Amino acid sequence: MTEEGPPVVYEQLIAALAAEEAAIYAYGVVGVHLPGNADRIQAQAAEQAHRDRRADLVAELSRVRASTPPAPAAYELPFPVTDRPSALKLAIHVEDGVAAAWRAVLPVTEDAGRTSALSALTDAAIRATRWRRTAGVTPLTLAFPGRPA
Amino acid sequence: MVLTVRVVIRGTGHTRRGVLGVAAATLGSSALAGCRIFDSGPDRPSAPDPLQPVLDEAVALAAAYDRAAAGQPGLAKRLTPLAADHRAHIAELTRVIGGTVRSAGASGASSGSPGPGTDAKVALAELRTAERSAQRTAATACRTAPAARAALVGSIAACRATHAEALR
Repeated sequence: MTEEGPPVVYEQLIAALAAEEAAIYAYGVVGVHLPGNADRIQAQAAEQAHRDRRADLVAELSRVRASTPPAPAAYELPFPVTDRPSALKLAIHVEDGVAAAWRAVLPVTEDAGRTSALSALTDAAIRATRWRRTAGVTPLTLAFPGRPA
Repeated sequence: MVLTVRVVIRGTGHTRRGVLGVAAATLGSSALAGCRIFDSGPDRPSAPDPLQPVLDEAVALAAAYDRAAAGQPGLAKRLTPLAADHRAHIAELTRVIGGTVRSAGASGASSGSPGPGTDAKVALAELRTAERSAQRTAATACRTAPAARAALVGSIAACRATHAEALR
């Protein structure tokens, strides 16, 4: 990321931060509704990955002294989450959303910043595929992860 | 060229300014000639698009999935959606590059792909290896792509990574 990047970079990074924070919140909800140990371990690993990305983003935004809005205390879920199928659906939804946020960072970054955004996009897309397999959803993949539908 | 200028100085007594002018003019014209010869000649085929290797691999992978599905009908249901992703990539990349699709046989990536009679496990492993390699190609292209192409190539790189995961 450049030392004095244009404001649009910050906007996209702040959007990515918001997506990561929403994901962390969502995995709290997801975890409650996953009875199986394997599912729960998968959710915990995913949540930790989002916490790591959030920490990196906060550090980067603070380095460039961009002000970040505080994360909301709670979120309105896109659909009711009451059982394992709806919890897995939320996990897929969240990873697709995170992939979209990072994809939007690609055109406004170069070099290391873009490499990092691509890595975040790829990791989210892979987790979405794992959740689809866990949930028995097909197809397992999207042709263009993160592209607006 | 420098020697010629010196001879001119001795022989005619031109002022330094005049000689420099001649030298500059000479350099200028040879630079223009250089442009014509090396950079923008209409007869010279243009350099391949940086996304051409990404497109070539998409074509090769789509064909490799088709062959694997033909050789292992039991895998067809699993492989067909992945092949469809590659076809979507081919369509987008062809549109962006503005060229035509070369045949799958042109790419080396297809040479080791599974055919009829290959064990299912081996077929999946070979496709996974090809996807990982193709993911690296797309990731490299994404890093150096202009902004207008970065998201498309990034999505293709990510998609190839999810294919490797889906083949596990």
